[in-house]
Amino acid sequence: MYKDVTITINGEEYQEHIPVRLLLVDFIRDVAGLTGTHVGCTYEGVCGACTIQIDSEAVKSCLMLAVQADGHEVATVEGLAQDGKLHPLQEEFNEHHALQCGYCTPGILMNAEEFLKENPDPSEDEIREALIGNLCRCTGYVNIVTAIKSAAEKMA
Amino acid sequence: MYPSVIDNYVRPKSVDEAIAAIVDGGEDAMFIAGGMSLMQAIKSRLVSPSCLVDLQDVSEIKGISSDDTGLRIGAMTRYREMANADKLRGAYGALVDAAAHVGDRQVRNRGTIGGSLCWNYIAACTPAACLGIGASVELVSRTGAKRTLVADDFLGSPLETAREDNEILVAVTLPTPEPNTGSAYKKWGLVADALPVVGVAVLVQTDAAGICLRARVAFSGLGDGPCRSAAAEQVLIGARADETSKIGEAFEAAAAELEVQADMWADEDYRRLLMRELGKEVTATAFNRAETGS
Repeated sequence: MYKDVTITINGEEYQEHIPVRLLLVDFIRDVAGLTGTHVGCTYEGVCGACTIQIDSEAVKSCLMLAVQADGHEVATVEGLAQDGKLHPLQEEFNEHHALQCGYCTPGILMNAEEFLKENPDPSEDEIREALIGNLCRCTGYVNIVTAIKSAAEKMA
Repeated sequence: MYPSVIDNYVRPKSVDEAIAAIVDGGEDAMFIAGGMSLMQAIKSRLVSPSCLVDLQDVSEIKGISSDDTGLRIGAMTRYREMANADKLRGAYGALVDAAAHVGDRQVRNRGTIGGSLCWNYIAACTPAACLGIGASVELVSRTGAKRTLVADDFLGSPLETAREDNEILVAVTLPTPEPNTGSAYKKWGLVADALPVVGVAVLVQTDAAGICLRARVAFSGLGDGPCRSAAAEQVLIGARADETSKIGEAFEAAAAELEVQADMWADEDYRRLLMRELGKEVTATAFNRAETGS
């Protein structure tokens, strides 16, 4: 029913005794207290707001048990800024008004960060395809696509 | 939507350990591969496993390799790897097409071919793609006994397969393709990359003049589970890529032959229309790949 796990989040190790059924998103939010990772769809795996990275790959943290992340490195939105300096994606989201309520933003950032490593010079269509797993109900995506394109150019 | 209590979780490092763990775990133990379907089923309590045997560390069943006999795709190979696998292009391009559009990139980062085949969801792309390209699956059981089944015998009705409870699917195998073989898959869903309302996989092998010698046609999204259309395959044999009316006839025959259900996403007529239209498009792509090899 319970297991001991060691999960590293943004470089910090969390050793915890947790129920097997605990979802990774709830470990991140409730156990580690990192509430930047959001739950947008009651754990149905459809909204993408809970997207984080495991070993540098974007995944939805409601589609995993925390025990599956034992021994792995997790990255959340809290780890994106380095030494108080925003990541280029965060800067461009700000610059291009790529969020309104902001609920979906952490998941989009964590997905886009990995996507740009895979494809540093994406077309608009490729960006839109990369966003299929992230729902935004405010912006209509136009400014999000612009911000990601702009971040890619800035990071080139 | 939240899991009920799960008593135990183990992470074996080899196939042998995995089989021992599933036996030890008792009647309600389940393997978890990528978990992209299983976690949904666990959270909705469609299934309530007492023990999860996580296959993430079983490295011997990961990756795509090839030898004289053909290709071997480890059961824990993820969609993202299949979507980018040059080894699969051309003859087995249907699998690339299917893998490249499963869910979204987050799902493709974790979802696996073995998980998808063993779950055999009604609206899954991989089972129909594997059926269409004539894949086989290798299963290993407690005694170490190995058996190989063709996809036609492995896949049953939705959520049913020929896998026994204590068996583990270790690999999907594909024969070295004959020259001039191409395959393709395409689905139609309500939004981009959604679960298919209907999906079609087609494989054609032609002679040097481009005349079809062998064809396989399989569909996803149908109530009976992934299924082939013998009628469509029969009509395609002897056809050439530019004989569009004959290719059209093949999918008229498929739409007439197979049992088609109506549901909230599509009525029967619309599903049949999708079978015909997607079928023609996918066949054209398969012929093109047979000719060009990519």
